[in-house]
Amino acid sequence: MMCAMCAAPALAQTVPPIRLGLTPVFLDNDGAVILRLREALQTGTGRSIELVQRRTYQEVTGLLLEGAVDAAWLCGYPFLQHEDNLALLGVPIWRGEPLYQSYLIVRADDPASSLSDLRGGTHAYSDPDSNSGWLVTASDIVRMGERPEGFFSRTLFAYGHRNVARAVAGGLTRSGSIDGYVWEALAQVEPDLTARTKVIGRSEKLGFPPFVTRKDHVAGPTVDLLRTALFDLGASPDGKAALDLLQLDGIAPGDLRLFDGIRARMRDVQGA
Amino acid sequence: MTGGMLKILQDMPLSFRVPLIASAMMVLVGVVASQQVLSSLSSVQEARLRELARLHVDGLAVALGPSVLRRDVWEVYDTLDRAASAGSGQRMVLTVVADETGRVIAASDPLRAPVDSDVGPLADEAQAIDAIRLSGAEDHIRVSAPLDYQGRNVGQIISELNVADLVAERWKAGLYLLAGNAVATLVLAFGGYLAMRRMLKPVARLAGHMGRMEGTLEPIPDKDLPKGDTELARLFQTYNTMSDAVQAKAEAERRLAERERFVSLGRLSSSLAHEVNNPLGGLLNAADTIHTYADRPEVVRQSAELMQRGLGHLRDVTRAILDQNRLDRAGQPLRPEDFEDLRLLFEPEVHSHSQSLDWQMKAGATALAMQPAAPVRQVALNLLLNAGAAAGVNGKVGLAVTAGGNCLSISVTNSGAAMSEGDLARLMASGPLPLGGGVGLRLVHDIVVGLGGTILHERAGEQTQIKVNLPIEGGVDA
Repeated sequence: MMCAMCAAPALAQTVPPIRLGLTPVFLDNDGAVILRLREALQTGTGRSIELVQRRTYQEVTGLLLEGAVDAAWLCGYPFLQHEDNLALLGVPIWRGEPLYQSYLIVRADDPASSLSDLRGGTHAYSDPDSNSGWLVTASDIVRMGERPEGFFSRTLFAYGHRNVARAVAGGLTRSGSIDGYVWEALAQVEPDLTARTKVIGRSEKLGFPPFVTRKDHVAGPTVDLLRTALFDLGASPDGKAALDLLQLDGIAPGDLRLFDGIRARMRDVQGA
Repeated sequence: MTGGMLKILQDMPLSFRVPLIASAMMVLVGVVASQQVLSSLSSVQEARLRELARLHVDGLAVALGPSVLRRDVWEVYDTLDRAASAGSGQRMVLTVVADETGRVIAASDPLRAPVDSDVGPLADEAQAIDAIRLSGAEDHIRVSAPLDYQGRNVGQIISELNVADLVAERWKAGLYLLAGNAVATLVLAFGGYLAMRRMLKPVARLAGHMGRMEGTLEPIPDKDLPKGDTELARLFQTYNTMSDAVQAKAEAERRLAERERFVSLGRLSSSLAHEVNNPLGGLLNAADTIHTYADRPEVVRQSAELMQRGLGHLRDVTRAILDQNRLDRAGQPLRPEDFEDLRLLFEPEVHSHSQSLDWQMKAGATALAMQPAAPVRQVALNLLLNAGAAAGVNGKVGLAVTAGGNCLSISVTNSGAAMSEGDLARLMASGPLPLGGGVGLRLVHDIVVGLGGTILHERAGEQTQIKVNLPIEGGVDA
């Protein structure tokens, strides 16, 4: 008994934390969400959790590939870009299905009604490695027979879906490409911001940004712990609270076919 | 305009003018003081604004340097947007960041300053931070500052500041000052008016006193004298002393005039004594003759006739004297006999100086009756005595009484020296009596003025003429 008491702090010191990389795929500016998610995962895994945030998808992907993080909540597009080295851990369920859409938004008073109306304007992308924040619009432009780099007069990367909404709402750019899930979530928590924008285009439903890990880690105990904790989030009060804040139903094992749509768009862009 | 106002000021009573000038000075002081306060308020506000703008720009310059260098539109916007929504957002309405070529990289309000647009129109109206001036009533001012990073200029920052609160503060301060000064000036001016009025009240009383008296001066009663030994008290005492002196002088003049009458009588008496003495000698001679030749009836008859003529002459002289001095003749109308009496009274004076008398009585009894006897006789006698004195030994004296038009004229002429300035002043003017000399001529003047007449003086060659015109009501038939 006494020995167990002595050993507990020693164990805590020797067992490294589980490190989970986060992309700005969701409301990364909300400290409460981060905190609650970490607590839920710590409870679920019984291990301390370190949530690692970076400004760009590329940085987080890099951390994952070099093993600096054990797993990451990544976008489907970088996952497919590094499909050879990465394995699917789980896919969040949003509004009953593991799917989401990319939205094309403009200012609320803008007369544009489709992508073609935005030709020659300024446009805000979220991230060059984001499916909903770049790939969808770029591939749509390619599908229209045009070049993504010449369609708009000026484009910028805001590195965050919420920033895209801010850029469009504030008038910095005429239009923006945004994660539909983020826009809908924002409409709940910051209705003033989304009210100044309007959605003029919605993509087909695509695979929700998944939790991924390196293929060579997928069978390891750490990843096992994390996977179980993710799937069981809805079962614990902490996990339920975190899911509520994220406006997600839960996290389920995913199927690679969910990402076929993204894959198709990648092909279109690469082939252009 | 200014001259007119000066005239109005000069015509204004002292008790209004002094407080008014004091109030005007206070208004002036108030305006100058208010101007100073507003000016310092403005300086303080400008300094505050400069410091604020400097902090804002310096802070932004540090944060924005790398982003501007990379032309990172989003980063610049993100920084500006977050800065605007934090803290100084109320003051900084718009912040625009441009590159060194003047193209907008991003602005806190991209709708007002779109990306890639020319910053020129915004920069043109901007002031340098160190030279911020809060002039006019504009709610917003624009300032510009160079954006330096790593020792070189990479662009510029233009900020629009909301200064509505400062303008309102200044406006309010100005209003309070105006209202405060107006009230203070009014109160002080009213107080000043009361104080000045109180101080100047004795002067107004003195002026009122002097104005009321119309020629005659009356001393101010002791109870009205200002207390203490102030300038005003001395002024009042001087006034009282002066009025006493004037009264004493008037009294002396009155006594002199009385004495003049006795002097005239004295002169008359001496000439009359001479007049009576001559017939008396003849009468005594006649009495002696009768006494000596009592037995010669023709001599006695002749002497008796002589005595009769002499006594008759004496009777006439006595009657003239009685008429001249009889009190019950006061108010009697003038008659031709009055002039005969005058001649009788005056002739001995003429003879005593071997003068020639030219007596012309051309006015009718009707015209004479319009005038009172005593004053006219007094006037004529005084003038004749004066003329006789002036003509000297062997001189010529003349009297002409005529009636014509609406007046009775009594003209007295004499040869000899002209009248002195002092005598003329006594006769012709109502002013104060010159020193020395008698008061007979002033008596003539006063009587003539009292009768509503005029006096004319003329000096032609060696002859002096004094003409008295007395009005006749309704005129006279020539």
